[in-house]
Amino acid sequence: MNTLYVVVIAAVVIYVAYNFYAKRIDRNVIQSDAKRATPAKMYMDGVDFMPTNRNVLYGYHFKSIAAAGPIVGVITAANLWGWLPALLWLVLGVSFIGWASDYSAIMLSVRNEGNSLSAVSHKLIAPRTRTILFVFIFFYLLLIAGAFIGILAAILSARPDVPFGIFMLAVMGLLAGQMLYRWKMDLIVVTAIVVVVALASMILGPYGRHTDADGKLIQGPVGQLVVSVNVAFNNLTGGKPIEALSTVDPTAADPRIPAPNAEGVRPTTATYDAETGQIKTMPSYLFWTLFLFVFSYLGANLPIWRFAQPVNYIGFWITLLTIGLSAVGAVLAPLIGAVDSTGAAIGTFVLPAVKTLGFAAEAGKAWQPLWPMLFVTIACGAISGWHALFGSIGTARQLEYETDGLPVGGGAMFTENTLALLSLVAVSIVGVGGGGGRFAAGVGKLLSAIFGTAFEPFGTALGFGAFVVIVLTVTQLVFRVMRVTLTEWVGEAVPVARNANFSTIFSMVLTLALVLTGTWVYLWQMFGAANQLMAALSLLVVTVWLKSQKRNPAYALWPTLFMYITTLAATAVTARNLYVTIATKPELGALPVGGAWAMIIVAVLLIVAALFIGWDGYNAYQRYARGTMAPAAGAAAAR
Amino acid sequence: MTTTPPKKSIWQNLREVMYGMATHDMSRYAVRTRASMEHLFILITMGDLIGVPILPPYYSLRLLPYVVPQISTWKRRLLREKDISDAMF
Repeated sequence: MNTLYVVVIAAVVIYVAYNFYAKRIDRNVIQSDAKRATPAKMYMDGVDFMPTNRNVLYGYHFKSIAAAGPIVGVITAANLWGWLPALLWLVLGVSFIGWASDYSAIMLSVRNEGNSLSAVSHKLIAPRTRTILFVFIFFYLLLIAGAFIGILAAILSARPDVPFGIFMLAVMGLLAGQMLYRWKMDLIVVTAIVVVVALASMILGPYGRHTDADGKLIQGPVGQLVVSVNVAFNNLTGGKPIEALSTVDPTAADPRIPAPNAEGVRPTTATYDAETGQIKTMPSYLFWTLFLFVFSYLGANLPIWRFAQPVNYIGFWITLLTIGLSAVGAVLAPLIGAVDSTGAAIGTFVLPAVKTLGFAAEAGKAWQPLWPMLFVTIACGAISGWHALFGSIGTARQLEYETDGLPVGGGAMFTENTLALLSLVAVSIVGVGGGGGRFAAGVGKLLSAIFGTAFEPFGTALGFGAFVVIVLTVTQLVFRVMRVTLTEWVGEAVPVARNANFSTIFSMVLTLALVLTGTWVYLWQMFGAANQLMAALSLLVVTVWLKSQKRNPAYALWPTLFMYITTLAATAVTARNLYVTIATKPELGALPVGGAWAMIIVAVLLIVAALFIGWDGYNAYQRYARGTMAPAAGAAAAR
Repeated sequence: MTTTPPKKSIWQNLREVMYGMATHDMSRYAVRTRASMEHLFILITMGDLIGVPILPPYYSLRLLPYVVPQISTWKRRLLREKDISDAMF
């Protein structure tokens, strides 16, 4: 297998699924009609409801849905099961479920006067469905914040070549906001200045790094600066870890656990004890966690034009450049027979096709069966509930013609799938490393296929930088949304929650608790389960809506059933893993055990909420199937 | 009503996609910020229209001609049913 095959497979699958399946559903089931007025035209207010060009909306929708999910999920899944299961789920998932979820949520909103998915579910299924959806959203945000902060803090504390670029990104973000909105400078000039400086800062991370005569790695000036900061903080405890914050990860997927060496043994490092399996929390790790919280706090509380928006803007260009060049490298490498510094072919997959299917369960050990866990580990890229929620609010209200729904919603989802496939390529062509490290090393190799082997360390630094940027820009917005959600949700009952600073800090404290006590892969899979349950809910609402309109709901019904059963099973398996491997082992310490119980409670809450939604959805479907009840008062008239 | 968008060159399409990815949300936030300010102004001056009298009617009537074009949009945005998810994006 090599990178070129993946590119060809992706192109063929997308072409066939889009032209022979998606277009058929759009034409025969939804019956989109360019002559029918959309909410953007009917309720145009120049702000939320505004007819927008199809190409602009496609770019906007893609940028809004494509974030860290398709990268982190694919990396985790490929490491757990191998590249083949991940590849199959990505192409089959997006072809039969993913595009349908995004596109249908947009069309559902368009046909229901621009109402959001939650508002339509309130009217079409049951009032409590909306409340339960908000429960999902809150835990979704909490879990994703925990998973992202955990993986970022591990990278920043372990890689001296990365933090400087991220610090400069923050500085450039503030500067860009000032230049654009206060000094009214030209956008192109501002872009050229801030993107070049941020990019150069990331690439310069490994500059001057070399090994001395004894084989010891010597950092360059930038790396040395970061090492000095780490050492200064670690000296606060005499260079020892903080014992009270030691934890364990029976899945060995925590980003702080080193990858196995050539003999297949994980070495003992400053953050990992190979004998006991304990993960040690160093003061420098806490410092970088705090750095990320400060970064996110600025993004969540400063006026959006001042920090969050310019940072995202810079991040977009860095990501586009990195991903775009990597894609070129993926096509080029097999064609020109590019080799890396060791003489190995760059485009060839090194990761095993199938590591394990994981169906055999062992007492007392974590269980990761391919079904259902793969389907929650890879969420975005195949299907995601968040896309549906966003599409029904942000995109649907700007759709100029109904016929734009498929190229915008479906097209953006297929494009995100290619991003996930590129991530799969990047992690599969690298033999060693784990998590973000494997992705960055893959990007380094792909870039070296274009710029030569001497560029590989700089390409790897850029891969790390892009990875951190993608994750961090999402994280700051997650905290912003979390703050808003808390304020809107409990602000009436708990007045202090209306205070933006309080809401943000409260969200961060909850996240910190998850980061310090949670087990990373369980955290990620719980997030995936919450996200996929939201996707199942959105498909359920679409199914009920189609039934209420006397249309064939099969294209949404079967994916609904598959995602619903799969995610319920995955949540139960994650709860079982937490219980068996941590919660019942008090000898592991109060911190991990307490964290495991907290996550088990979250899992039970999600399962109960999903059962309520399933029951209400089934009843609503039956009502419309029997024709005994028209849509509830206030629901949109059939159009 | 035009139902078929005019044909564009590939570069024009690409430019629009890039604009959508890079800056469309920035434009939307700017418009939203301006709209919030304007709506607040209308609420203060024309509150009587929705039963919230803030300014004496004399001044409201003096300002009325300048506000008329925005009243329908303002009432639609203000009175539209919203939930938490509307505040997120």
